[in-house]
Amino acid sequence: MKFRSQRVAYLFFATSMLLFTLQILFGFIMAFAHLGFDGLHDIIPFNAARSTHLNLLVVWLLSGFMGAAYYMIPDEANREIYSEKLAIVQWAALNIVGVIAIIGFQFGWWEGRKFLEIPRELDYLVVIDVLLFIFNIGMTIWNGKRFTTTSIVLFVGLTAAALLYLPGMITFDSQVLDSYFRWWVVHLWVEGVWELIMGGIMSYLLIKLTGVDREVIEKWLYVIVGFTFLSGILGTGHHYYYIGTPDYWLWIGGIFSAMEPLAFLGMALYAVGMARAGGMKHPNRIALFWTVGCGVMSFVGAGFLGFAHTLPQVNLWTHGTLVTAMHGHMAFWGAYAMVVMAMIAYAMPRMTGRKLYDHWIPEWAFWVSNVGMMGMTGAFAVAGVAQVYLERKSGMDFLEAQKAIEIHFFGLILAACLLSVGIGLYILNFIQYGLPSEEAVSPGAA
Amino acid sequence: MLSKSQARWFFVGGTAFFGAIFIFLTVDSLREIPARQNQDQMTAAVVRGKHIWDRNNCMGCHTILGEGAYYAPELTRVVERRGKEWIAVFLRDPAAMFPGQRRMVQYDFSPEEIQDLVAFLEWIGRIDTNGFPPQPDLAPATVVASRSTSASTAARPAYFDTICVACHSVGGAGGSVGPALDGVGNRLTAAELDRWLEDPPAVKPGTAMPNLHLPDATRSELVSWLASLK
Ligand code: HEC
Ligand code: HEC
Ligand code: HEM
Ligand SMILES: [Fe+2]
Repeated sequence: MKFRSQRVAYLFFATSMLLFTLQILFGFIMAFAHLGFDGLHDIIPFNAARSTHLNLLVVWLLSGFMGAAYYMIPDEANREIYSEKLAIVQWAALNIVGVIAIIGFQFGWWEGRKFLEIPRELDYLVVIDVLLFIFNIGMTIWNGKRFTTTSIVLFVGLTAAALLYLPGMITFDSQVLDSYFRWWVVHLWVEGVWELIMGGIMSYLLIKLTGVDREVIEKWLYVIVGFTFLSGILGTGHHYYYIGTPDYWLWIGGIFSAMEPLAFLGMALYAVGMARAGGMKHPNRIALFWTVGCGVMSFVGAGFLGFAHTLPQVNLWTHGTLVTAMHGHMAFWGAYAMVVMAMIAYAMPRMTGRKLYDHWIPEWAFWVSNVGMMGMTGAFAVAGVAQVYLERKSGMDFLEAQKAIEIHFFGLILAACLLSVGIGLYILNFIQYGLPSEEAVSPGAA
Repeated sequence: MLSKSQARWFFVGGTAFFGAIFIFLTVDSLREIPARQNQDQMTAAVVRGKHIWDRNNCMGCHTILGEGAYYAPELTRVVERRGKEWIAVFLRDPAAMFPGQRRMVQYDFSPEEIQDLVAFLEWIGRIDTNGFPPQPDLAPATVVASRSTSASTAARPAYFDTICVACHSVGGAGGSVGPALDGVGNRLTAAELDRWLEDPPAVKPGTAMPNLHLPDATRSELVSWLASLK
């Protein structure tokens, strides 16, 4: 790495790895409950396991984004982080808030709003923490006076993500309005500003790993995120079909969300195209695997599987079934888990000075975890489609239909075991790298 | 060929333009939602019910308006499906209604809280949701056996259809948690039926039929009808 302070990224990455492990653990609790083994019901009822699973995901991804920014921004701005101390304080605060939230969930301290369960008091701490982070990153860019497109896109994405957290902090008496503004956070995050974050990180990695000209990469970055907002903003309408909102959302949401896959297709073509143009000469092949994999899998999960249920005629039947879970898993994995894992795979050798990428462990980690996630998606897909036909189309009682699809949760667990092995290998590799070292700092390094 | 600054303008311009439309549509939606959600029927009980719903994170197992988790039934139309009385009885002791099934949390709701939740669910059920959840369109034409197949002299009590049918069938229609009650008058005398309905677990410890705390009048009405099912 070029600058000593880039090493703080390590703290955030380590937090990510730990929380990711916990997230998977809570996922298993839920899968077993679906299969009929709910032995933990009295201590961790399904709703507690679920809130924990979702929020661990959000926090580990945010931690990963922060780590990525702390690594990438100094490199792009060409100077040390504005304040390394502040970064450490902000990291500790993020962990404390996260731990309190997760423990609180087990005691029913939450708001029952999917993805936004963190109670209001802690929301304020989250906001303060994120503001500190943005201040620190912003000052680094400002003082660096080198404004690259990748860092600006990343910065705008992070700032907008923070702003969009606010509509989720309003209390409503109406379930309809509650839901309306909950999507301002959830949808405009994952199908809007988080894509800027993903695009920024991905472009940085492509510049570093493929050697393609920065101008070319950055131009396409603008085109892709342009498409994201062109389709994604009004695409929010695909959540406004059936919640008590006016019916013009049926066609507005349908048309615009149907165009959203284009942005993801662009992302995939862009990653594959740049990797081919650059001839994949960089020795850290694994980091490039994750980067290109991210482009491809985000298209599969978000673009293709999102499209599968986004038209109102289809969504009328699939809304609120396991079909949503099928899409949610592959989309989060492909777009956001993989971009964080790509960044970690790229940054670790540079922060520690050890080149542990040319080995079977990271390579198998990549393939096994991806095959595992594809299996999980398949299991959810079969269960979801069967649920739609039995319960929604044929009018079978809910519990009876669940019994009929129970077996697919066995398949889900098998695939999840595969995913866990892959992630286990990835984390093993992460641990083998050890801590960032002084020797790895070399001002001449890219 | 597109230049980088043109690409940047495409991004900035597109975002501003569609962001503005989105804000405009949001303002319009906020104007239309009160009528669609029957704002005038949002009583204090409904609002209290909504916050009980939130506080207990019911959405962590159920979906409502199709949003939430996929572990437990969709509740948008639950009042239409089950009736208010049934839901009130169910919420007192969920496990008793579905013995041996996937478990809900056993809440300690007061009767007032239960009424609030029921009011909330009833309000939800009336929202204009553009037709969600849809009517099953592949349903096999269920042969609803005529309710007069059991020769019965007394009138069928309404209470039976709100609560008991969830677990029992008569004439082929109803739940299957408990035995079908056709011909139950041959198996049990009126006195036995009365003792059973007063407190099933006292008659048969460990039984899956809950004590429904029936008012005396309802019980005797049920008993005379059941006794006539021969
Ligand atoms: C939660 C489900 C449930 C509900 C609600 C319920 N029952 Fe039952 N009932 C059962 C079960 C299970 C049995 C079998 C009990 C056993 O043998 O342990 C039963 C048994 C009976 C029997 C005895 C039948 C026989 O052939 O021996 C009668 C009579 C009866 N129920 C009447 C009623 C009436 C009337 C109501 C409504 C007020 C009602 N039940 C509500 C579950 C239920
Ligand atoms: C741990 C998961 C869980 C939580 C939390 C939960 N439920 Fe349930 N609920 C279930 C399950 C499972 C069923 C299906 C019936 C059964 O097996 O008890 C159910 C059934 C119901 C039903 C009957 C639906 C029908 O169609 O028969 C209602 C009404 C209901 N729940 C309301 C609530 C309310 C209100 C809350 C919050 C205060 C809540 N539930 C919280 C799991 C849960
Ligand atoms: C990386 C990007 C994406 C991620 C991480 C993602 C994730 C999710 C998640 C977690 C949900 C469930 C949300 C909830 O119920 O609270 C969801 C719902 C949905 N997503 Fe996506 N998504 C992405 C992109 C897309 C795209 C591009 C489309 C359309 C083409 C799409 C279509 C939908 C639809 C229609 C629903 C609603 C399902 C329903 O409730 O009926 N998603 N998504
Ligand atoms: Fe969406």
